[in-house]
Amino acid sequence: METSLATAGRADDGMTPDPDPAPAPYDEMRAAGGAVRPHYAALARRLASLDAGELAERQRTLERFFLLQGITFTVYGAESSTERIIPTDLLPRIIPADEWARIEAGLTQRLRALNMFLADIYGEQHILMDGVAPRELVLCAPSYRREMQNLYVPHQAYANVCGSDLIRQPNGEFAVLEDNLRVPSGVSYMLANREASKRTFPGTFRGAGVRSIDRYPDLLLSTLNSMAAEWRPNPQVVVLTPGVYNSAYYEHAYLARLMGVPLVEGRDLVAHENMIYMRTTTGLRRVDIIYRRVDDDFIDPLTFLRDSSLGVAGLFNAYRAGNVVICNAPGTGVADDKAVYAYVPAIIRYYLGEDAILPNIETYLCREPTQMSHVLANLDKLVVKAVGASGGYGMLVGPHATRAQREAFADAIRADPDNYIAQPTIQLSTAPCLIDGETDARHVDLRPFILSGEKIVVTPGALTRVALRKGSLVVNSSQGGGSKDTWVLADQKESQP
Amino acid sequence: MMLARVADSLYWIGRYVERAEHMCRLSDVMLNATLDQTDAAAQVARVALSAAGNLDPARALSPYEAAMSLVLDREDTSSIVSSLARARENARQVRDQITTETWERLNLVFLRMTSAEAHKAFAGGSSVFLHDTIADLHLFKGAADATMSHGEGWRFLLLGVHLERAQLIARLLEVCFGDAHRGALSDHFALTSVLRMSCALEPYLRVYTADIKPAFILRFLLLDEDFPRSLRFSTARIEEHMSGLAKYVAASAQANPERLAGRLKARLQYADMDELAAQGASAFLATIGDECAAIHHALHETFVAYPLELRLPA
Repeated sequence: METSLATAGRADDGMTPDPDPAPAPYDEMRAAGGAVRPHYAALARRLASLDAGELAERQRTLERFFLLQGITFTVYGAESSTERIIPTDLLPRIIPADEWARIEAGLTQRLRALNMFLADIYGEQHILMDGVAPRELVLCAPSYRREMQNLYVPHQAYANVCGSDLIRQPNGEFAVLEDNLRVPSGVSYMLANREASKRTFPGTFRGAGVRSIDRYPDLLLSTLNSMAAEWRPNPQVVVLTPGVYNSAYYEHAYLARLMGVPLVEGRDLVAHENMIYMRTTTGLRRVDIIYRRVDDDFIDPLTFLRDSSLGVAGLFNAYRAGNVVICNAPGTGVADDKAVYAYVPAIIRYYLGEDAILPNIETYLCREPTQMSHVLANLDKLVVKAVGASGGYGMLVGPHATRAQREAFADAIRADPDNYIAQPTIQLSTAPCLIDGETDARHVDLRPFILSGEKIVVTPGALTRVALRKGSLVVNSSQGGGSKDTWVLADQKESQP
Repeated sequence: MMLARVADSLYWIGRYVERAEHMCRLSDVMLNATLDQTDAAAQVARVALSAAGNLDPARALSPYEAAMSLVLDREDTSSIVSSLARARENARQVRDQITTETWERLNLVFLRMTSAEAHKAFAGGSSVFLHDTIADLHLFKGAADATMSHGEGWRFLLLGVHLERAQLIARLLEVCFGDAHRGALSDHFALTSVLRMSCALEPYLRVYTADIKPAFILRFLLLDEDFPRSLRFSTARIEEHMSGLAKYVAASAQANPERLAGRLKARLQYADMDELAAQGASAFLATIGDECAAIHHALHETFVAYPLELRLPA
């Protein structure tokens, strides 16, 4: 467990290389020796009863469902543009109740602490004065927003929607790979995958006792409503989207439709006397809460990027004046910064006086000279990430890189050490997937969604992302990743085989 | 209350869907008629292509190629596939405002029309292909009628449908019976085809029996009270939906489109066929076209692109 402050400062002593070379990845379905784990027993029986043709037929039905619903992204070609669905795997990933209980407690603890951290650094900055997190690391992070200083946020709920990426290590323990407190996406795939798997395996689903995730939209709405000022009893909520060409547009429309609130674009909103209005057929209507799916930089050209046309000129001033609520709050990105990540266990201890329930992945900060020299000496074993990048870009996977690539990265690290962190190459766990009509193991991660407003709610389900290329560890949808449904079981009643 | 942009999109979905359906019917009737190598068939092809906005007379000599590009040419902004692509693009932008059932219908037509097999399907049986497309568009309208709330958004959708329909039928009538063509269209087969192009053959027969005359067709498509593609019917719906929207908007702001719609409806309701025959149909049809265009602009200015200064909250 990497829970102490020493996580960030570890490695003062002589750097010993990782003890075991590469432990085998954890298999979600089978225990060592090949026996099916109890919570997978019913699914395994069902799979054994279906031949390849029936499985392929179900896969086609599922893809047709996604296509019909328009859960697609557009591929623009020379001749014409075609629509593709996000690759979706038929076989659910199953998580038993006791494992989920731990994940739920860990995520709740983590988000509580991170919200307190945000309230502190945008307030009196005790944590910086006490030296628990380095001042320049936090205040110089590109995602730190000076404009948020001393601004009241109800319930200290800065990150109203959080999607953390968890991975299961070879020893079976879940760890947090990354927090995502800005504008996390993927929840519509979680819900659509569930719709699809109810159609595909209705009998197994009914028998398994899967916990329902249907309430996500109304829980999201009540989380957003809980952020309203008390003198606005019937707040007008809207979802702000960058528009139809955004790759997550389907999700924006989906959430707006299921919450029953308008889906607006920047051009639909105007600021007038520090209030925000939307242009309706009957004139201007006041807006109280904006669930924005537009990044900080683009929400207000007067305050942030000047050439953004996605946002609303004057939005931030209206926010500062308390006339509108922006969810998530601007500036939450500083808490999921890749370098600040290394301090999260210390942050949890500082605010809550508890050890982190879900561990971090061991992380080396190149800004610390001793750690940098360790990173440079072990580039062939480590994954190096640029602090400012995301989506699987700006990354070096040491064991799979060429010597030239490693040397280029080494130069980049020496030139700008603050911008790089490194982590050991983690073997993600594997789960069975349907690949070309056969079941085969692929690496998966887990993205649960946590809501925080007046209270913190962890949705009992998640998006399981799949690296569809054999052996690949990259699950990002921009780089050949897919997804599958995730069944969180209510109890252990399926344990008898 | 709904977003101005959303109202605009719904209106355009209505227009594009109606346009696509009408163009399908023109193509289908033309291809069917030109299976015969007669003068009347050539006349039908000319009428269909002019009504579709294609004014090059040479196109009528190769009706199959003309229909193929009218249906499937993505470069041509007035083709059916372009109309459906725009309808669907608008629907995607207001995906939260239309029901899943309605969306699925439109998405399905679009996917079929843009799939790699579309050209083959058209070549293998244009009649079946067009018939299925028209049937799918009817399903879209039916799903919208059966599942969407018949509130403000619905009215914008139908305003689009009926304004587009009124303009398309007015244009078809001008091409067939306008002053420049008066008396030109007399062949029984050609006249029957005109009725098919407006989906009016069977309803016409029930009113006028198989006695098919230009004057009767003109009267039926202009003034019949119950036939859904007559101008009188469409303009009555335009007026109905426009005054339906009135309850959402302060009277002062929306008086203009409602007044225009009321006047157009009255024009059709109290038209006199003898007078019309004396002065020629063209002037009357041109007035209808102009007034539809005026309603279109007034609608846009009143509900969508109004000056913000006039609508600031009190």
